[in-house]
Amino acid sequence: MDYIYTILILIGLFVILASSFDLVIGHCGLISIAHPIFYALGAYVSAMLAKEGGVPIPLAMLAGGAAAFLASVLVALPSLRVSGDYLLIASIGFQLGLIEFAKHIHSIGGAGGLTNIPSFLVNSYGRLSYVILVLAVAVLTVLFVRWLTSGPYGRMMAAMRDDELAFSMLGRNAIWVKVSVFAIGSGIAGVAGGLYAHYFRFLEPDQFGLLQSSAILTMVVVGGMRTTWGPVIGAVVLQILPQAITFLGLPPSILGPLQGLMFSGLVLVFMFARPQGLLAAPDIWAGRSTRERADG
Amino acid sequence: MLNATVISQILWTSLATSSYFVLFAVAFALVLKVNKVFNFAQAGMMTCAFYSAYVAVRVLEFSGPVGFVAAIAGGAAMAFILERFGFSVLRHRRASPMFVFIFTLIASQFITYAMTMIFGTWPTTIFASMFWPVSIIANVAVSAWDLPALGATILVLVVLWAFLRFTRYGQFMIAVADNADLAELYGIRKDRVLMVSMLVAGIICGIGMFLYGTRAQVQPAAATELMLFAVAATILGGIGNLWGAALAAVVLGLVQNSSILFIPSAWQGFLLYAFLFFAIVLFPSGFHLPERSKRLKRTVVAPVVVSDAKEG
Amino acid sequence: MADVLTVSALNKRFGGIVVADNIDLSLIKGRVLGLIGPNGAGKTSLFNLVCGVVRPDSGSIMLDGQEINGLPIRARARMGLARTWQNLRLFASLSVLDNLMLGPQVYSADTFTDLIFRPGHVAAAERAARDKAFAILERTGLADIAHQPIRDITFGQQKLVGVARALMNDARCLLLDEPMAGVEGQAYALIQKAVRDIAASGVAICVVEHNVAFIRDLCDEGVFMFAGKVLARGSVEALIADPQLTELYFGT
Repeated sequence: MDYIYTILILIGLFVILASSFDLVIGHCGLISIAHPIFYALGAYVSAMLAKEGGVPIPLAMLAGGAAAFLASVLVALPSLRVSGDYLLIASIGFQLGLIEFAKHIHSIGGAGGLTNIPSFLVNSYGRLSYVILVLAVAVLTVLFVRWLTSGPYGRMMAAMRDDELAFSMLGRNAIWVKVSVFAIGSGIAGVAGGLYAHYFRFLEPDQFGLLQSSAILTMVVVGGMRTTWGPVIGAVVLQILPQAITFLGLPPSILGPLQGLMFSGLVLVFMFARPQGLLAAPDIWAGRSTRERADG
Repeated sequence: MLNATVISQILWTSLATSSYFVLFAVAFALVLKVNKVFNFAQAGMMTCAFYSAYVAVRVLEFSGPVGFVAAIAGGAAMAFILERFGFSVLRHRRASPMFVFIFTLIASQFITYAMTMIFGTWPTTIFASMFWPVSIIANVAVSAWDLPALGATILVLVVLWAFLRFTRYGQFMIAVADNADLAELYGIRKDRVLMVSMLVAGIICGIGMFLYGTRAQVQPAAATELMLFAVAATILGGIGNLWGAALAAVVLGLVQNSSILFIPSAWQGFLLYAFLFFAIVLFPSGFHLPERSKRLKRTVVAPVVVSDAKEG
Repeated sequence: MADVLTVSALNKRFGGIVVADNIDLSLIKGRVLGLIGPNGAGKTSLFNLVCGVVRPDSGSIMLDGQEINGLPIRARARMGLARTWQNLRLFASLSVLDNLMLGPQVYSADTFTDLIFRPGHVAAAERAARDKAFAILERTGLADIAHQPIRDITFGQQKLVGVARALMNDARCLLLDEPMAGVEGQAYALIQKAVRDIAASGVAICVVEHNVAFIRDLCDEGVFMFAGKVLARGSVEALIADPQLTELYFGT
């Protein structure tokens, strides 16, 4: 049963990550793969605040989210002032650089990892309570993204994606929109990081590198960008599949790369056979107001 | 500890080891310039090149030169596959630059995983030993690897320059880099040119990886970090500027090597990324993921008007 | 002074090509200025310079007495400058109505903080924008297709949407880039009427057009451009009648 709980928690966490990443890359059209570093920031900040600072865990998790939010603004603002494509390289540099950096900081465990992160809920209420917590946050995230993208802000994002020049000529501020959405998406990832840290209770810098970037990218691309359920389906499918082949009883040296091969192979197949993903995004933005009008 | 000998040593070693970095940077810069793609799959091309040489020399026990040819073949083969079945298809579908970039990233990972499954994660080298005889020249330790490596790199750069300047396909590549649609109007087969460009990049990567793999250990994930160095050099050298990228690679190599005088060696890895991140943030003139120009540029029409104005 | 937009000594070169050569231009409240000239004369480039899409090498651009040269595009729009584009630039993922909803100088949810902390204000602004949009759609004969996606409407209707969207700005200065190109029939009449009404309401308008009938009918004054220079100014009739200009226009 514990195994199932862990899977559910992982699914929940990746739903949060995939949904928030879809906001950045799908709705806002920003090319970035650095989502995992904000996940990492949230995780480490929450872990350290709780472990060393004695901060109550719920607060620490929120602080983790805030830290990720702020860091993402620091990365996005200078990059986006120049151009949207700069963000890609700057964020990769930030992600890989911070990971390298973290490997040398002994107070957070260095390359060996941060251990003994304080546990939350599990000791008092059992694992199921944590599952419920994570799944609740996942549901909230999905609903939030849906709310944001089907309202006036979503209309703005769709227009900005269509034609940024015409968008600016109407008086709209593309940079603000991009930085805000990037920050919100990253902040959410940060909160997910806190949730991860206090359940698994061990963090190491390397787990937040390009591999995880690809994993999250896969979930969004395969599941279907700019759809409410696409990232969710992507997260579920891409958690279940690797777990499924674990049962084949292969040695770990084969299993790891095989999972990776499956991940990337699946994305490649999708990119060529069904580029829109499992769930195709609607061509035309349909906001809440459109739906309201349909009723009367 | 900073005396002439130490400085000369660092300068020499940096120069020698920048040889492969220059090649990786030039390959990356070339594909960016002509194909207008941030080819993150170059890491895959590099990995394929290395393992081709590895198989030729260590497994099949052929000689060094055969390994060299195998490296080139491996790099070119992977370049071919990427262009023929990847970029070309996406291009004809008018896929967005983001989509193409995601493809390069995922393709790179796929190749890495495939290689890991076949070869495992143990670091290996092309020749059984990494050690090369060292001679001391003017108080500086010069390895027997250094001069051939530098020579090979310079030769590649010269040949590339001549290729771009004097051969048909070289000039086509420059034309396509400038304005692909216009080039097509003049009868240049864009698809063929882009393939040639990728193949050239693949060959250069092959040579670079042969150099690297005869001096350092490689495991499947190693190429990614090497390629990021190339990315940094390309950006710092200026998009579209091959020789700028080459120079930037030398400078970056120098900075990274000499940093050992100022910072603990453990931090050297971090330095590159810090450099990349801050150089980008402070870089005043931005850059753009090159868009496929969808229309003819006005330059075709305007000169007619301007000449009229001079007469009338 | 009734000058809404004043362009002084504007210069721009791209490499060897002179796109703007010491241009002086004024747009006056309630008057329609026709910008005519052959292709490549620099008419759209002038619009781009005024809007901030391109930075001039030298010169000044004043909107209602304020220097706007150097300001970002969005700032100029928020000061009451609006335009339509030669290649439409409508938002293909949005319906006609939604295209317009993005047009007001101040959008209902320009910032995320507005969305979270002032939901009442956002809702009210949305309603106001919708009302205004429908009013404009009525005037331009587009009310029936308000909820259609852009790709499902005719080209003439698309051009009308472009104009309608620009009208959402309550602009003091409106730049129309070939509004009539490819348009005929009812759409033509509707655009013509819209331009007349906007001018009557006191907006300074500049129109780039090749359609002689339209220019004759609607423009109070004309400016002839060629190779980045303003060659002649005056009444539209005088410009059209000038044989030298006609020669330049059609090429020798």
